[in-house]
Amino acid sequence: MSMIRLEHLVKRFGAFTALKTMDLTIADGEFVALLGPSGCGKSTTMNMIAGMETPSEGRILFGDRDMAGVPMGRRGVGFVFQNYAIFTHMTVRQNLSYGLRATRRPSDEVARRTNAMAELLQLTPMLDRPAHGLSVNILQRVAIGRSAIMEPAIFLLDEPLSNVDAAFRAVMRTELKGLQRSFKQTMVYVTHDQLEAMTMADRIAVMDHGVLQQVGTPLEIYNDPANLFVAKFIGSPGMNLLHGRPTESVGQMAIDLGALGHSLPLAPEQAAAARRAKGDVVFGFRPEQATRVGEGQGMAMPISFVERIGARTILHLGEGAASAKTVFENDAGFEMGRALHFAPHPSAVRLFDAASGAALRGQ
Amino acid sequence: MAEIAFRNVTKRYGATLAVDDASFTVADNEFFCFFGPPLSGKSTILRLILGLEKPDSGEILIDGKAVNAVSPAARNIAMVFQNLALFPHMTAADNVRFPLVERREAPARIEARLRDAAEKLHIGHILHKMPGQLSGGERQRVAIARALVRDPAAYLMDDPISALDARLREETRVELKRIQREAGRTLIYVTHDQEEAMSVADRMAILEHGAIRQIGRPVEIYDHPATTYVARFLGSPVMNILPVQTTGAGFEAAAGALQVAAVAQSGVTEIGLRPEDLRVSHWEGGAGVPATVSEVEPLGGYTVVTLTAGAQPLRAMLRGQPDIRVGALVGLGCDPERVMYFGAGGEALPKSAAPSLGGDRI
Repeated sequence: MSMIRLEHLVKRFGAFTALKTMDLTIADGEFVALLGPSGCGKSTTMNMIAGMETPSEGRILFGDRDMAGVPMGRRGVGFVFQNYAIFTHMTVRQNLSYGLRATRRPSDEVARRTNAMAELLQLTPMLDRPAHGLSVNILQRVAIGRSAIMEPAIFLLDEPLSNVDAAFRAVMRTELKGLQRSFKQTMVYVTHDQLEAMTMADRIAVMDHGVLQQVGTPLEIYNDPANLFVAKFIGSPGMNLLHGRPTESVGQMAIDLGALGHSLPLAPEQAAAARRAKGDVVFGFRPEQATRVGEGQGMAMPISFVERIGARTILHLGEGAASAKTVFENDAGFEMGRALHFAPHPSAVRLFDAASGAALRGQ
Repeated sequence: MAEIAFRNVTKRYGATLAVDDASFTVADNEFFCFFGPPLSGKSTILRLILGLEKPDSGEILIDGKAVNAVSPAARNIAMVFQNLALFPHMTAADNVRFPLVERREAPARIEARLRDAAEKLHIGHILHKMPGQLSGGERQRVAIARALVRDPAAYLMDDPISALDARLREETRVELKRIQREAGRTLIYVTHDQEEAMSVADRMAILEHGAIRQIGRPVEIYDHPATTYVARFLGSPVMNILPVQTTGAGFEAAAGALQVAAVAQSGVTEIGLRPEDLRVSHWEGGAGVPATVSEVEPLGGYTVVTLTAGAQPLRAMLRGQPDIRVGALVGLGCDPERVMYFGAGGEALPKSAAPSLGGDRI
């Protein structure tokens, strides 16, 4: 019933195409994050699902029901925005119970559901406080609660945590996930924050410039990005990408990285992908999947900057086209200017077509 | 040249104590960061240094001289605000030139400084554009260039890159650090992003309710937080802090479900365990403290696992993508060297003699 299907969805604003032919099916009870930088079309997609915008082409179905012409109020969706819209002259309790009272639910049910929602979102101590004067963090919680209390089958959230502070964001991520587990709504969550998408979503739809780039579980997207955009966008720091060309010697495939020398021999699947490549490739590996090796093995790059962030050390290596980053858990006396000898684990290497940017797969 | 210092500075707004008896010294050429939650006094400290606010008590010193009575203009400190405040009707170049034109500098010198700043900030190619035509990141660089050309004694920056998206912030913070090193000026920086603070700062001050709780190098503060407040505030996921009872063999938490073997030491009421210091292994009647997995958050390079030992929730950050499922029973361990000890007032206590590892213990 609350499955969402987007079929050939297009949205144009005048000459500008905000969304180019999006096809996506979101299963009943699934938590899907629409993730991408600003201007990628994620909010436009969300607004069409909510009924705030009309598609230029294509269809939106909830279950088997075409939503064309169905106004926002009749779609049965809950919606939470970045800028929470709270009635500041009301108490937290009045805000939370607003929807239930508007639909004339019996008063004992209103009280019971309001208290339960307050408990779930840790709002019980401030139920009878007026909304004005409460912190941004609390207000966003009230906004989420006010929408969730209606138990919508579809819950849409557009950057709900971007105005709250970092510590609270971590708490809210856990709570939102808990909320979805208890109500089993279909959740569509718009964000530019990959940490939010990775930690909460069952699947992530990565978007850029109005084009859906990849859909998959967080680990599928992290481990096997479909193209260079996803490889760079996901991960903190993003994937290292070095230009090179496949080369074979005594039956072993490797990548010739120009001035950086040759990569270690490729693992079987990547070797098959390299054999299939037409022309130059991009050699990719994650900063946390490189290990230090002895001199003369692997790659050598000068350390250009050392960032120590808590337990992690991010090394910035080389410059320009021959640059990379590595992440280590300890600061083993890394010195700027000194060469780091390192190699990505062969199974962690990913190859992309240099011309199209698409991932090269073994089969 | 600028050393900037506060001596017991207090500032109130009505009943609100915005800065509470703050003392610190920022050395010449230092990149110094103020880090704290919203309303902890970060921005007020900047305004006091600039001279936009006067302290109720205490002294503000620049190069050893009290400047309480010195006007903002005479302090020669450049500020980059969070909302960049570029003039929208001027090109990027004119925005950067503006402070020098105001000071009626010679045109040749203005052009030389513009070129110099544009090169440092990689904005040569956008100097002819209007602010409205620039991206957020480009506007940020123009604003920083405008501060740079003034050749001030020190720069203050109030969350200058918060408007950028995450990837650009990661690049820009490294660039800021490089610019500061090359320009060789004192830079006082406010941010609410702990990664950014730890990345850029030579030293940082942690604020709470207007008071400075700790000053030190980021690594020092991370490894040796002075209080549980600081311990919780720095680090992601947040440090596990558990109330403990002293036993004959060390400490126990969660009614004995969690044991830490260590030389007992008086006054310890809580212990701290960083999530990345916890080891989690499959439970096969094996070593460590038995715990149940209640949440697994795969982040790609790391996996955050929420566990319960007895009634005590704990978070562990594990490298890579280990095969751990919700509901699984695991064995929990920790390098005893990494355990931190806190007293009843939340203050850190020195580690006693090297603790030893026992059987069902961490």
